[in-house]
Amino acid sequence: MPRSVKGSSRTREGVAGYVFLSPWLIGLMGITAIPMLGSLVLSFTSYDLLSPWEDLEFVGVRNYVRMFTEDPHYLHAVTVTVVFAVVAVPLKLGAALGVALLLNREQRFTGIFRGLFYLPSLLGGSVALALVWRAMWAKDGAVNTILGLDGPNWINEPDYALGTLVMLAIWQFGAPMVIFLAGLKQIPNELYEAASVDGANRWRSFWHITLPGLSPVIFFNLVLETINGFQGFTSAYVVSGGTGGPVDSTLMYTLYLYQSGFTDYEMGYASAMAWVFLVAIAIITAVMFSTGKFWVHYGDGSS
Amino acid sequence: MKKLAKLIALLGLLAIVLYPLLWMLATSFKPATEIVGSIGLWPAEPTTEHYPSGWSSMDVGFGRFFLNSTIIAGLTVLANCASCLLAAYAFARLRFRARKLWFAAMIGTLLLPGHVLIVPQYILFKAFNWIDTTAPLVVPKMLATEAFFIFLMVQFMRGIPRELDDAARIDGAGPYQLFWRIIVPLSKPALVTSAIFSFIWTWNDFFTQLIYLNDLEKITVPVALRNFLDSTGQTSLGPMFAMSVLSLLPVFAFFVAFQRMLVQGINTTGIKG
Amino acid sequence: MHRAAMSQVTSRRALLLGALSVPVLAACGGGGEPEAQTPAPLSTDPVELSVFWWGAEARAKSTEEALKLYTAKNPNVTFKNTWQGNQGYFDKLATLTAGGNAPDLFQIDDGALSEYAERNVTLDLTPYRNNGRLDVSKFPESLWKYGEIDGKLAGVSTGENTPGVIYNKQLCQELGIAEPKTGMSWAEFITWAEPVYAKSGNKVYGTMDPSADYKALWMWLRQQGKELYKDKKIGASKEDVTKWFDLWADARKRGAAPTADIIHEANGGDVTKQLVVTGKALTSFLWANQITDVQKNTKQTLGVMAYPGNPSAQWARAAMYFSVARTSAKKDRAVDVINFLVNSPEVGKLWGADRGLSANLDVRKAVADTLTDPTAKTAFAFETDMAGKFGQAPPVPPKGHVKARALLITIAESVQYGKASSADAADQFIKEANAALG
Repeated sequence: MPRSVKGSSRTREGVAGYVFLSPWLIGLMGITAIPMLGSLVLSFTSYDLLSPWEDLEFVGVRNYVRMFTEDPHYLHAVTVTVVFAVVAVPLKLGAALGVALLLNREQRFTGIFRGLFYLPSLLGGSVALALVWRAMWAKDGAVNTILGLDGPNWINEPDYALGTLVMLAIWQFGAPMVIFLAGLKQIPNELYEAASVDGANRWRSFWHITLPGLSPVIFFNLVLETINGFQGFTSAYVVSGGTGGPVDSTLMYTLYLYQSGFTDYEMGYASAMAWVFLVAIAIITAVMFSTGKFWVHYGDGSS
Repeated sequence: MKKLAKLIALLGLLAIVLYPLLWMLATSFKPATEIVGSIGLWPAEPTTEHYPSGWSSMDVGFGRFFLNSTIIAGLTVLANCASCLLAAYAFARLRFRARKLWFAAMIGTLLLPGHVLIVPQYILFKAFNWIDTTAPLVVPKMLATEAFFIFLMVQFMRGIPRELDDAARIDGAGPYQLFWRIIVPLSKPALVTSAIFSFIWTWNDFFTQLIYLNDLEKITVPVALRNFLDSTGQTSLGPMFAMSVLSLLPVFAFFVAFQRMLVQGINTTGIKG
Repeated sequence: MHRAAMSQVTSRRALLLGALSVPVLAACGGGGEPEAQTPAPLSTDPVELSVFWWGAEARAKSTEEALKLYTAKNPNVTFKNTWQGNQGYFDKLATLTAGGNAPDLFQIDDGALSEYAERNVTLDLTPYRNNGRLDVSKFPESLWKYGEIDGKLAGVSTGENTPGVIYNKQLCQELGIAEPKTGMSWAEFITWAEPVYAKSGNKVYGTMDPSADYKALWMWLRQQGKELYKDKKIGASKEDVTKWFDLWADARKRGAAPTADIIHEANGGDVTKQLVVTGKALTSFLWANQITDVQKNTKQTLGVMAYPGNPSAQWARAAMYFSVARTSAKKDRAVDVINFLVNSPEVGKLWGADRGLSANLDVRKAVADTLTDPTAKTAFAFETDMAGKFGQAPPVPPKGHVKARALLITIAESVQYGKASSADAADQFIKEANAALG
């Protein structure tokens, strides 16, 4: 191909890129970025939501220092969140992948099955959920009855409350399951056909075709569920009634952030927490992206 | 034999997964004093009173709230799918200046906990004169502010073989033709997935809808459900449960209808040939 | 069709009631203040006021009716009403305020009043009280004063309530246990509760453990001449709080109060989770006027008494307030609306005890005559009896109270669960609560 033609198609693509990107760019500049930068600025102030703006005081990095040196609740919230994310994310993804594989084949009632497995996720963080979940884990609730345990009220025990939130996260595995299902649909059938001609068994074709074919979607779910896992606000808020109790055992990072901002009126401090969170998660995400090169296989040949 | 084992495994799993929902359904048929007093599954004195009383509550009635939620969720689905598909195509397939930087910025917008954005956003939308309208709930979605869906679509598009593009290019197709001829038809699983999540998440979103909707005639289902509860005063758990059960039906139907499109899926060979 | 007909009937009734109440109001308004001070009349230009409150449907109906009564008298004034359940109410109010969009009139409680008043969100109503536009002359003095913060009147009490122990009267009789009585000491109360567990066949505990309840700690401190808050600090010593935690550790040990997991369920304050509702204990520590809401959730007959110890520790507390935003463009009108809501006997009858017992004593009397519900009567009788026993009201809890209140729950629970000793927990509470108040 002559150089000049290639060059002009490059330019054309460069322009097209910005054309396609333009709605998002407008959204970023006009809607997303301004509040984000606003919160960054506020993180260096004593912003308290209610005082008039002229009372706003710049406090330098005091909010950031306070987090790490004077606030035991903050460090406690970090621990709770890390434990939750490390346990809940792999389990939830495993459950989602397992069920997606079971429900991949088109058979009668598959649609209804998928819908039924998705049902718990439809509840989201609704008010009914709190009552349902509490009832399940109560002393004479379903879990103890069905397992024949003389167990405690799990949600009300500081040692187990976080565990019930992990179970809740796993129970609501619908979103990654649907993404896995959609990903499985994208793996070309002829690959499996070719493999079976070569005499590969089920396990081999899972290992050599399904997993690599699914890897972009696995990667997506891993990144997003990790972000979600660390953000984990809704379930903790709903189940603990916004307190993070008993005895701070379910005080997730974002729940503490919310309390600081909206019930203690320390929005400057809350904003600082949010930006520390952003940096920490950005590092984790960056690490994931860099390892992705080694195990994510894209159909377009890129990595 | 193997099939039967699989079916039994599925049904067993399903029973565990659905038990809490069954409990919720059963509870919506319990009289008020039984709801707070017992946590057994079966209502001792079943009653259907919560359904009519919940449905006709709050003057305007729940039908109105369902309509409001449906409109907002429907608009969100369209807005998200269209705007995010455009951005995703750019990120996944086109080469342009500063692409990596913008991509990183896009991922970055996913990371900040939303609670610190509420007030700055409110101030911004007030400056736009959007308060008391549905604009804050819909317009941002038209501008692809939900990076989740962009990233999701990018991941799917990167699975579409490049040879398809090359074949089309030889026929003289440019980036715009490629988008229409290859990407749009082949992005069906990603679009369906995005539509499902857009609908369901909007249906369940409480906080934004709470902040921006003021009139009772305009409020949505999640806000209305919480209006049953004044935890230190009057609390109507029965109607709340009944309406919560009903509020699951539209999203369940939406899910079952849309996931059928995942069934049909895509067949890359068909296009190639 | 049906709704239109209804609203026509109501508005006609409203007009009628409005006409009737004019002389009554005039009679109320005159008391004590020299007529000469009467300010210029309010503008009659059309105006819309935004009103925001939390509550459930019943409160929404009665509030809207009350505002319609006002419009019937002042046809140029209309209202833009926004209401919601209590979850998220203060989040929205704070967001609106931060966005410079605070409602003209809003409902608030003594947990948030200082936060808003000290940050200059609420309008100081003192000038209106002085010029007679806001008439609180029929209020118990301590009640309207309980809306003052740093000498500024930040909110007008919509009604009165006071802490109350709500107990299961019926079960007391069934178990053959005497009902608890106002004036019992804390020790007597715990002793009273002790045999219940055994007598009920190990099913029901005698009493909720209120060690995480700031009201209970506050009353207990006041009975010893101390306050929960003094000069924007915790008014109790570490020894005091240790003793308080020990008192209840002992009650739990004796089986008078339940185990930590059961207590935790009720510590959040939700009516539907109170132990007297769920049948896990004979008593719950709440507000006296909540008995009507609690009663709706149980078939057992309930009773109410003062918190243990000398009842003079209690005071006429504002159940909630209405405040006006300092940034409102319609301040005078907003104050006039509040004045109407708290002094009109018609509004009083519409509201009943929903926002506490009517603050205006004449209205309260008028409301009492219309009560038919036996539980409402019980509550009314209790508060009337308490009126003679009330002590001086303390200042409104300071800024940081909500956090201190939450800290007490977390830290008291750490003792209940056996995760901390009473002394360590007391130390932690005082340190962290003081930091929150500072």
